[in-house]
Amino acid sequence: MLAYIIRRLVWTPFVLIAVSFITFTVGHYGPGDPVQVLMGQKNDPEIVDRVRRERGLDRPFWEQYVGYVIGAPKEQPAGMSAVEYVFHFAFSERHPDRQGVIRGDFGESYKFLGQKVSDLIFSRVWVSVQLGSVALGVGVIIGMMLGLAAALNQGRWFDPVIVSGGLFLSSLPVFIVQPLLAFLLSRQLHLLPSSGWDSGVLGLGIFSPKIIMPALILSLGPIGGITRLMRSSTLEVVNQDYVRTARSKGLGERAVRINHIGRNAVLPIFTVVGLSLASLVEGGFISETLFGIPGIGRLAVESFFARDYPVIMAMTLLVAASYIIVNLLIDIGYTFLDPRITLG
Amino acid sequence: MKRFGWALIALLLVVGTACGAATPGGGAGGEGGTLTIFGDDPPTLDPALMSDTTSAVYVVELFSGLVTLNRQLQIVPDLAESWQISADGKSYTFKLRKGAMFHSGKEVTANDFKYSFERAADPKTNSHTSDTYLGDIKGVKEKLEGKAKEVSGVKVVDDSTLQIDLDAPRFYFLAKMTYPTSFVVDKENVESGRSWTDKPNGTGPFKMKEWKKGEQILLERNASFYMEPAKLNQVKFLLAGGSAMTMYENNEVDVSPVGINDIERIQDTSNPLNREFVVANTLDTWYVGFNVEVPPFDDPKVRQAFNHAVDKSKIVKVVLKDLFQPAKGVIPPGMPGYNPSVKGLDFDPNKAKQLLKESKYGDNLPPITFTIPSSSTTVDPVTEAIVEQWKTNLGITVKIQQVEWATFLVDIKRDPLKSKKNKYQVYELGWSADYPDPQDFVDILFHSKSLDNNGAYSNPKVDELLDKARSESASEQRFRLYQEAEQIIVNDGGWVPLYHGKTYRLVKPKIKDYLSAPMIIPQFKYISVQ
Repeated sequence: MLAYIIRRLVWTPFVLIAVSFITFTVGHYGPGDPVQVLMGQKNDPEIVDRVRRERGLDRPFWEQYVGYVIGAPKEQPAGMSAVEYVFHFAFSERHPDRQGVIRGDFGESYKFLGQKVSDLIFSRVWVSVQLGSVALGVGVIIGMMLGLAAALNQGRWFDPVIVSGGLFLSSLPVFIVQPLLAFLLSRQLHLLPSSGWDSGVLGLGIFSPKIIMPALILSLGPIGGITRLMRSSTLEVVNQDYVRTARSKGLGERAVRINHIGRNAVLPIFTVVGLSLASLVEGGFISETLFGIPGIGRLAVESFFARDYPVIMAMTLLVAASYIIVNLLIDIGYTFLDPRITLG
Repeated sequence: MKRFGWALIALLLVVGTACGAATPGGGAGGEGGTLTIFGDDPPTLDPALMSDTTSAVYVVELFSGLVTLNRQLQIVPDLAESWQISADGKSYTFKLRKGAMFHSGKEVTANDFKYSFERAADPKTNSHTSDTYLGDIKGVKEKLEGKAKEVSGVKVVDDSTLQIDLDAPRFYFLAKMTYPTSFVVDKENVESGRSWTDKPNGTGPFKMKEWKKGEQILLERNASFYMEPAKLNQVKFLLAGGSAMTMYENNEVDVSPVGINDIERIQDTSNPLNREFVVANTLDTWYVGFNVEVPPFDDPKVRQAFNHAVDKSKIVKVVLKDLFQPAKGVIPPGMPGYNPSVKGLDFDPNKAKQLLKESKYGDNLPPITFTIPSSSTTVDPVTEAIVEQWKTNLGITVKIQQVEWATFLVDIKRDPLKSKKNKYQVYELGWSADYPDPQDFVDILFHSKSLDNNGAYSNPKVDELLDKARSESASEQRFRLYQEAEQIIVNDGGWVPLYHGKTYRLVKPKIKDYLSAPMIIPQFKYISVQ
């Protein structure tokens, strides 16, 4: 298994380089210009050129991309041959604001002047991850319980009611539920704050009442899918030989349901939830805007409109990396849940 | 400040960011209490780099300059207590206020201003506003191009006297000095590191107490402010968004913008919220612009026909629910020099048809594409109404093209040096004031040499009037020149002026002296909470 993990990890940088190259190319050759957006309508071409020069945006494509990855040189000396320049580019002192991704420097935002991309992103990702985990956790627990209950009551009226109820809740768009709940719980009953985020002292927002409404509403999304998945995978294992064997051994019904049915039924859920974990770092533009959550989703959309390429690049890399890691963790996790699976 | 497309403004109205608001005197308590309002993360708090309205809200409270604007948008003394203008209009001598201090307690001297101006004009600062706002000062251009170490036009006479020399008499100079590019910064603070603006040591009526990115900004009263200190103890900006109206009605904020969906409910006098309703003008003009370098809009008759074919009153009434004011000219109401009796090209379908027939194109108009900056999946109803009226009243089918803002900005820009042309034929846009002077509209948008004249409008008579206004010292006379130029532009069909904006807000009754200013000015110092 170790060899498998190492092989996967060795591939990771290549995947990330491919992702960064594609994103960079699209940004570079796509329409729009970050300096023009920054300046708005009043933009003197001379000033635009000066600002572009200062940011290294006037350099050729390869220089900008390689500079992004390994860092741009501090000086751009004139009068060097191409070979000399490549050498200079690779080995001279780095530009203080463009040290390169390999040194952990994602550069400075084009929109938020003078701010490091990493400072901008990580606090917001942290908020999105907190909210997303709570919502996902609540959704998965409720979904699994509903699915198990539906499967064990297969054929009775209870079963379709649960499944369609779960699907109904999942299909409710957040922009309908949020105003409804906010109207009821905030405007009418004044029970909960309608929106906002309170990061408290330690940067933990999960203990603030402000998280209740968004977490509750966002948990509706996973419920329907998890309920159905849990129901069908439970039905698959419920008639397996080993379940019958366990019962015939005289095991209590509780032990059968948890250790034999539940554990095996949960495998597909594991994949789905695992992949959702990776998407936690993406946040969500609409929900974050509606709930007033300082998460990564809003920043992502705003960065796109501002052509804030360093932020867009960093986010793409972050999301790609988290998918790679989560996928690996899922594969490893399988071997623990199901001893028949081996990695090699 | 940043000019938004109509769609963005609509989004602002609906989502409700970037507005003033206030909460009860909870929190730290005290005389003035805390004002809780909506905000957005400022892209920068560096006065020399700032050019957007979001940042301006904070910058004008944290920092200050020689002169400022009062609530009537008049230019009044700020860190300079008085000034003298030389007879030729080229030299300004400012007497600084004694005892004025940075937040740290350090006294502000003329040297601090010299440092601040030179820093703003230093190419390393990478300011994109210093050309526009400081460019009239002698030596700024040389400094920006890296040809000079100092700015020759800024002279320290003594600790409390600053002399500024201009390259030519510019009577809008003081108006430009109200813009943050010329605000004073503390050298020590600036040199403390790249993130110095996280702890700005300004001179304004408020100090930065806390900035949790994406979450909130807390400004605290500067008790040793050089003029009457603010009444409020704190201003809290909620940065994370949310539904403004719901938060207002749940007492989470005390001021909320009112969007187009809530306006009827609020305007109903039987609604208790109606008593908390505040309306104000904004200094902007929304318009249809013509690119006069491409057919068919190179013919003034076509432009006039397109003007006469649009029924603005109807659009404003039906589509915009009378939220805005139909525009006749270029200069918005509330702006010094606004001419209420400017004669617009009024709605007259017969005249429109007649003019079109008389034009050199007659009935053979080339295909026309109307471009609007928008990322929406649907077309803005105002645009649809205009296109429909052109179709009905002129019999011309105009294609609508929506272009995302970043792309739009690049494509609309002309650059005569690189012979780059405006890619669009006809387009819809808005322009809002950066400083209260009609020069900011008429000269910048219509002088044939101006780089912001996207439509390439050119009329020697207009240029002549604008050049004359640049060196005219008497305000009355200057405004008359701008008004005269404005009337010619309107008659030429330079634009189809559409409407002027207004802001609609709800303000909790406990907020005293809240005023929706038509521009971003330092205003929290006037407000108190009961």
